[in-house]
Amino acid sequence: MGKNEKRQNESQNDGQDQPKEEQSSSLIDKIQQLGQTNVPQLSQDSKIHCLTIVGQIEGHMQLPPQNKTTKYEHLIPQIVAIEQNPKIEGLLVILNTVGGDVEAGLAISEMLSSLSKPTVSIVLGGGHSIGVPIAVSCDYSFIAETATMTIHPIRLTGLVIGVPATFEYLDKMQERVINFVTKHSNVSEEQFKELMFAKGNLTRDIGTNVVGPDAVEYGLIDGVGGIGPAIKKLNELIDINKESEEGIVQ
Amino acid sequence: MILYTSMPHELIFPTEMNEYDKQKVVSYEGTSLLVEMTEGNNCTVLRVMSSDPADFMNEKFSPGAKITLT
Repeated sequence: MGKNEKRQNESQNDGQDQPKEEQSSSLIDKIQQLGQTNVPQLSQDSKIHCLTIVGQIEGHMQLPPQNKTTKYEHLIPQIVAIEQNPKIEGLLVILNTVGGDVEAGLAISEMLSSLSKPTVSIVLGGGHSIGVPIAVSCDYSFIAETATMTIHPIRLTGLVIGVPATFEYLDKMQERVINFVTKHSNVSEEQFKELMFAKGNLTRDIGTNVVGPDAVEYGLIDGVGGIGPAIKKLNELIDINKESEEGIVQ
Repeated sequence: MILYTSMPHELIFPTEMNEYDKQKVVSYEGTSLLVEMTEGNNCTVLRVMSSDPADFMNEKFSPGAKITLT
């Protein structure tokens, strides 16, 4: 009986079958793509832009496509665009990176620190190695409670500008990283070097793995928190920035 | 096989060039997208390369979406 009824219903709906099928197939498409049926929509243009620094920070050598990388040739034009666009009032930098190329990392850090608009960074998961200068380059930095940062000396796998570098060259490179971090955070040079050359924390290596609250204690990061506190802080900084700009005009 | 070297893996075993060709960065409706070419002009979106959070909300080119380049 039930089957017959169903069939009848189907034949009655014959005329409407076409659009229904299309609708359901687009729904299936969406589930395949996103794992969900709809995503929340933003009402208008956002005044806060967001840079995600994920995976490896790629340097002059292109990594194979299966690697997840952050490329400086993508980020730098974006930072330039953010600086120039008057509609964008603040920048949120989200880090979950294992580190990577020193020069590329420092380039991104310098770009972020010289941005005239308020910037806030959050380290989620990990902000290791060259991720540390990127995290501290922003006006205010946050770290999630479970996130970690590995601080270690510069290592060399491969070549620097096509030639094997001397120890002095590497030492100078390391000095640049230390200078940047100490200049843009509250950590002292002695403290940072102590963390960098600490023994017994990493297997057969020197360095320290700093977890969220510890990073704040050392003065490396400004506060422990996630996306909520970060956006709140960024809005505060945007307001302060606006006030000071208005002051100049008057 | 164990390789006793400090050289990175990709320096010793370079990826074949055609692997790089599959992925491309294209500008689609004003947004940079990292896409994987499937056949002809069709491609699958892998990553949205934008700093505008609104771009990530656009269903037309959310990762996994199939787009046709013109």
